[in-house]
Amino acid sequence: MLHIYRRLWAVNWAEQWQYRANLLMYLLYWLVSPIIYLVVWTTVANSQGDVKGLTANDFVTYYLVLLVVDQLTSDITLHVLASKIQDGTLSGELLKPIHPILTNTLMNNLAFKALIFIVFLPVWLVLVLLFQPDFSAVTWQNILLALPTCAIGFGINFLLGATITSLAFWTTRVYSLHEFYYALAVLFSGQFVPLVLMPPVVQQIAQFLPFQLMIYFPVQLVLGLLPPDAILRNFALGLMWLTIAYGLFNLVWRRGVRRFSAVGA
Amino acid sequence: MLKLFSTFLRVNLQIALAYRVDTLVNILLNLMWLGWELLSLGIIFSNTEALGGWGVWELIALLGVFRLVNTLMAAVIWPATERFNASVRDGSLDYLLLQPANSLFQVSFARTVVWRVWDLTLGLVLLVVGLNRSGYAPGLIELVGFAALLASGLLVIYSLWVVLVAATFWFTKFDNNVTILQALLDTGRYPATIYPPWLRMIVTFLIPIALATTVPLQALRGDLAVWQVLLFLAVGVGAFFLAYRVWRAGVRRYSGASS
Repeated sequence: MLHIYRRLWAVNWAEQWQYRANLLMYLLYWLVSPIIYLVVWTTVANSQGDVKGLTANDFVTYYLVLLVVDQLTSDITLHVLASKIQDGTLSGELLKPIHPILTNTLMNNLAFKALIFIVFLPVWLVLVLLFQPDFSAVTWQNILLALPTCAIGFGINFLLGATITSLAFWTTRVYSLHEFYYALAVLFSGQFVPLVLMPPVVQQIAQFLPFQLMIYFPVQLVLGLLPPDAILRNFALGLMWLTIAYGLFNLVWRRGVRRFSAVGA
Repeated sequence: MLKLFSTFLRVNLQIALAYRVDTLVNILLNLMWLGWELLSLGIIFSNTEALGGWGVWELIALLGVFRLVNTLMAAVIWPATERFNASVRDGSLDYLLLQPANSLFQVSFARTVVWRVWDLTLGLVLLVVGLNRSGYAPGLIELVGFAALLASGLLVIYSLWVVLVAATFWFTKFDNNVTILQALLDTGRYPATIYPPWLRMIVTFLIPIALATTVPLQALRGDLAVWQVLLFLAVGVGAFFLAYRVWRAGVRRYSGASS
């Protein structure tokens, strides 16, 4: 099995490498929003000293860590898989005796991430120089602890993304559905602003949803802002959502594939 | 030209009506994002009185202007780019060049996304309400100045787009040509004056999103001197003139993938 993953990694790496110019553009596209939010909130914090106790530096460190975490937990399954389901090229992959999503699509995601990071790291360092964050609250222990949470966050995002994409077996409107999913993420993940500044209702709901596990929780963890019991609770929540997402994906995928062969595509 | 434009519009309206449910879904998603935009402004302004000297209603007016710019992008520029890039690659641009009408005009307006008119309306409503509630009572001259600056800003963005897609005539594989425009578009939601100098330079001079969003409103706020207004207007006309020259040169260079 490991051998298969290694081969698929090589294939997907080579495939993504072909599109390296696209990668650069994608990176640029994705960088802009967090930087805008960073500027907006540091402007507010600077004009009045702090925002509900958060200083300008708190915002700078938040968004700079967020950029890394978001890249680690993001998922591109929709863009890789939806067209394959729609035009029928998935058939070829279904013939192979391995699960196409949990092997090939997963490796494609990871290869994409690895390539992005090669370009992203220097850009990130430039941003660090430009915004001069004070990272003194960040410890190695916290960074090490955050790595598995990012892996869990990515796992959940990947499986939920794959579930939504698999709805392409039934409907042509997966892109709209995914846009809705993305809107929920924007609202509940802490992408726009640290969740403590969101309306209380949003915070209440967010703590049970998977979205904050993809951004807010890992970022807070790296910045050393969480007490041990909150860390434990979110770990447990993460494993729970991972299980739920896996179950959901399996359900939709199995039925979808059966339907797929039924129409003879 | 006007007749051609109305024919294009009719065809595109028919396309939109053929996919009624999609159109409806798109409008609903659009409303959802509007809700989010207003909520995010609400969150910002529940923590502060002003953002870089701009009040909440001024930012709503800015959001309105941003949506006008966004309409130009989503209704005209993105669909046109997609078709254009494909037609240079497979040579079908030949047929378009053979038509007895202006090639740039055809490339720009042959395929537009009609339901975005909705977005245009929303943008105007936000603009009017925002201006009204922030206590502006602009006179006729101010309004004309605002409209002229907005038009000139849109023209600058359009010209940049023309240059970017015309680059495809020289580098066929350059099909990421508009991503940079798309990427920086979001900067238009907030006043460019809050950005650090390097970013402000980029969105004012390099990828001039701010010329169509922040600058027209600054004129209404009285932040600009008369010579600045005139300068920005001249930049708009100059940019289009240059862009059109580049386009013509590109078309002359195009040899057709099929021939």
